[in-house]
Amino acid sequence: MRRRQIAVVAGSATVLGLLTAVASTAARPDDDPVRLTATPESVQVVGLPCLPSSFRLGMTNVGSADLYADVELAAGGPVVLDRGLVSSWLPAWDPDHTVTARVGVTVPRDAEPGTYEVRATTDGAEVAVPVEVLPQPPKGDGDNLALGEQAVASSTHANFDVCGAVDGNTNSEEWDTLTGWNDGTSGAFPDTYDVVLAAPAQLTRVETWTLDSTRYPAARYGLRDFDVQVRTGGAWQTVHEVRGNTAGRVTSTFAPVTADAVRIVGLASNNRDYSRLVEVQAFTD
Amino acid sequence: MTGDRNPFRGLRLDAVDATRRRFLTVTGAAMGLAVVGSLPGLASADGSAVELTQLPEYPFTLGVASGDPLSDSVVLWTRLAPRPLEPFGGLGPRPVMVLWQVAEDPSFRRIVRSGSARARREDSYSVHIDVQGLRPWREYWYRFRVGRHVSPVGRTRTAPAAGDSPAALRFAFASCQAYWEGFYTAYRDLAAREHDVVFHLGDYLYEYSVGVGAGVRQQQLPADTLRETVTLDEYRGRYALYKLDADLQAAHASAPWIVTMDDHEVENNWADEIPEGNTPTPTRNEFLVRRANAFRAWWEHMPVRLSQQPIGPDVQLYRRFQYGDLVRFNLLDTRQYRDDQAAGDGSDPPNPGSLDPNRTITGAEQERWLLDGFAERSARWEVLAHQTAIAQLDTRAGADVIVPMDTWDGYVASRQRVLGGAAERGVRNLVSIAGDLHRSVVSELKADYADPSAPVVGTEFVGTSISSGRDGMDNDEGGLTILAENPHVKFSNFQRGYVTVDVTPDQWLADYRVVDRVIVPGGTVTTRTRLAVEDGDPSIHVLGGQA
Repeated sequence: MRRRQIAVVAGSATVLGLLTAVASTAARPDDDPVRLTATPESVQVVGLPCLPSSFRLGMTNVGSADLYADVELAAGGPVVLDRGLVSSWLPAWDPDHTVTARVGVTVPRDAEPGTYEVRATTDGAEVAVPVEVLPQPPKGDGDNLALGEQAVASSTHANFDVCGAVDGNTNSEEWDTLTGWNDGTSGAFPDTYDVVLAAPAQLTRVETWTLDSTRYPAARYGLRDFDVQVRTGGAWQTVHEVRGNTAGRVTSTFAPVTADAVRIVGLASNNRDYSRLVEVQAFTD
Repeated sequence: MTGDRNPFRGLRLDAVDATRRRFLTVTGAAMGLAVVGSLPGLASADGSAVELTQLPEYPFTLGVASGDPLSDSVVLWTRLAPRPLEPFGGLGPRPVMVLWQVAEDPSFRRIVRSGSARARREDSYSVHIDVQGLRPWREYWYRFRVGRHVSPVGRTRTAPAAGDSPAALRFAFASCQAYWEGFYTAYRDLAAREHDVVFHLGDYLYEYSVGVGAGVRQQQLPADTLRETVTLDEYRGRYALYKLDADLQAAHASAPWIVTMDDHEVENNWADEIPEGNTPTPTRNEFLVRRANAFRAWWEHMPVRLSQQPIGPDVQLYRRFQYGDLVRFNLLDTRQYRDDQAAGDGSDPPNPGSLDPNRTITGAEQERWLLDGFAERSARWEVLAHQTAIAQLDTRAGADVIVPMDTWDGYVASRQRVLGGAAERGVRNLVSIAGDLHRSVVSELKADYADPSAPVVGTEFVGTSISSGRDGMDNDEGGLTILAENPHVKFSNFQRGYVTVDVTPDQWLADYRVVDRVIVPGGTVTTRTRLAVEDGDPSIHVLGGQA
């Protein structure tokens, strides 16, 4: 392998989480050789359960010996992180190699808007990441009540996030593993995708956006047969049965019904493998 | 526990310190710089380098283990984790002193070795005690202590002395234990049957999310268990989760284990420096860092010696274990040095890649090591203990031959060189034990399956998974196809379980233990069938059950 002999020697002597300077070169620092970065350098977040934000923590060993680093993460104010620690082997490769890890950032619904700080620290290195908590989006008449609310699915493909169909992005051309939901059981139906609203509301309309891009047209990849349901008094009630659909966007309008959740029941897709949703929206107007 | 009210009675702390100093003198040098104060700046002003001798909470939540038995030594393992699913098990940053004892009896009346070790944060508070000076081919019991907390007792057993001729050896082998797909009932059964040694042949953990609710386990777990493991803290956390299982702990405590790894300890179907197609670490550099993290966590959680401690993204996995002149186990590594899977991985007809004489599943150096060992003819039974099937497995009904590219079918030249090499060197009884397939497949081995007249040169016993694949059934369509298409396959089963083998100079007797259900706790374990191989005759005799 191409690693330098120095790294091989020092690797076995890297103890106590610190760099052990078995050998060194003048050009590379052996005290505090870890550099931390965040990408992006600051984060914006909204206090909704299904609008997660994140940054990538970068860890670079600019020293002359491989080491294992523990980077501890701490958040100020209402900010909640999905991990408090990132540990990794950091090779002393030349050119430098930056190891990255995703850090998920959320705040509770009642978080006070403002700017808070996430701090990542390891021996001799630190990076601060400003986290701006944005005000809640309006959720009145004419607004999408499903935006960012908690989504729950019967299954979710390993490459997808269950929140992908409530992220406010209806653009199928940006369909990928983040902005969209794909169930996890190929060829098996039905699949369900629920969005739990923040509070009961008198719903009159649901918009269902299934995959419909130039590369993946709805007539071949979109949901063909599905039911739109709302939850009233703990029971699911079908408000629209859609059959033989080939469109990317299906509007369901119905008599006003007070509901605390919306469900799409995928019964078949046009190519019979998966249920694919780009966005689910719920309105009171 | 043993009924002894003060299990460490008589173990005075000053005596411990003396032992400890000796311990550090020996291992400290080997480990680099483990001695406090030997590095400038390490004895920090806040006292974080000063070790603790007490812990407020019970730390032995992940059980105890022993492994890699030699005729005079065995490795003892534990990891301190009062809060096992928290980072560093809820400990830190100070090291913790762990006392250990080895006795000739389960009541610890005849303690023959004892000492102490420092559990350090950089090792996730695991300790690996390489106990020396034990007597060959006998049972021992061991336990650990931190302050007032005493660990469960483990049973272990050394190997016979070199040149000894043991009358019989009983061992087990297991593999593939996806946490969310089944309970480890098979391990409860394994623990209750006294084995001299237990082999784990890979997929001890899976890098995948355990899923919301952890599948059949129906547990609410911390969010990090839903991430695919990439970083060191993630692999450490996943090992802690798996090792919390009481049945797995019982199996570890019942006998010494000899552990290798397959793909999922890192990532599905990795090959040397190449990740799988669908990976969060697509570049070579990203993958090597991930491999280093995975290897480090593997070492921290397995009862293996310092010689198996990884150096960055490299670890010495292949090694030998000698049971007198009865059995030699060659533990192989068919991940770290293999060429990338042929034909883009998957299942394919034999193709220019899979048939390429220059491709290898072992790497040239390991292959030479293996063939040189064959030439020594050191034992009556020469065992390859490794990851995946050597035998050709045609998985397509009808005239087409479709074989998996991830097994030795994707490396036909390696199969020819290793099996042919064993025959050329006069290996008396060559036996392969493997896992990976999530099914039991027992085959007669040929160096060249394309030649109908090629002689049988050995036998292969692939064991099914402990839990991966959920309940399964006696034979699914895939199993029936394998039986129908491969005349060299003598037994197939698609349930979960493990294999016990009783070896004598005259016979190899494999007992396929299967579990009726693993998706609920408390399934029933029975012998599905027994298969025998007689000394000097590489043919498989099905003694019980249907073939």
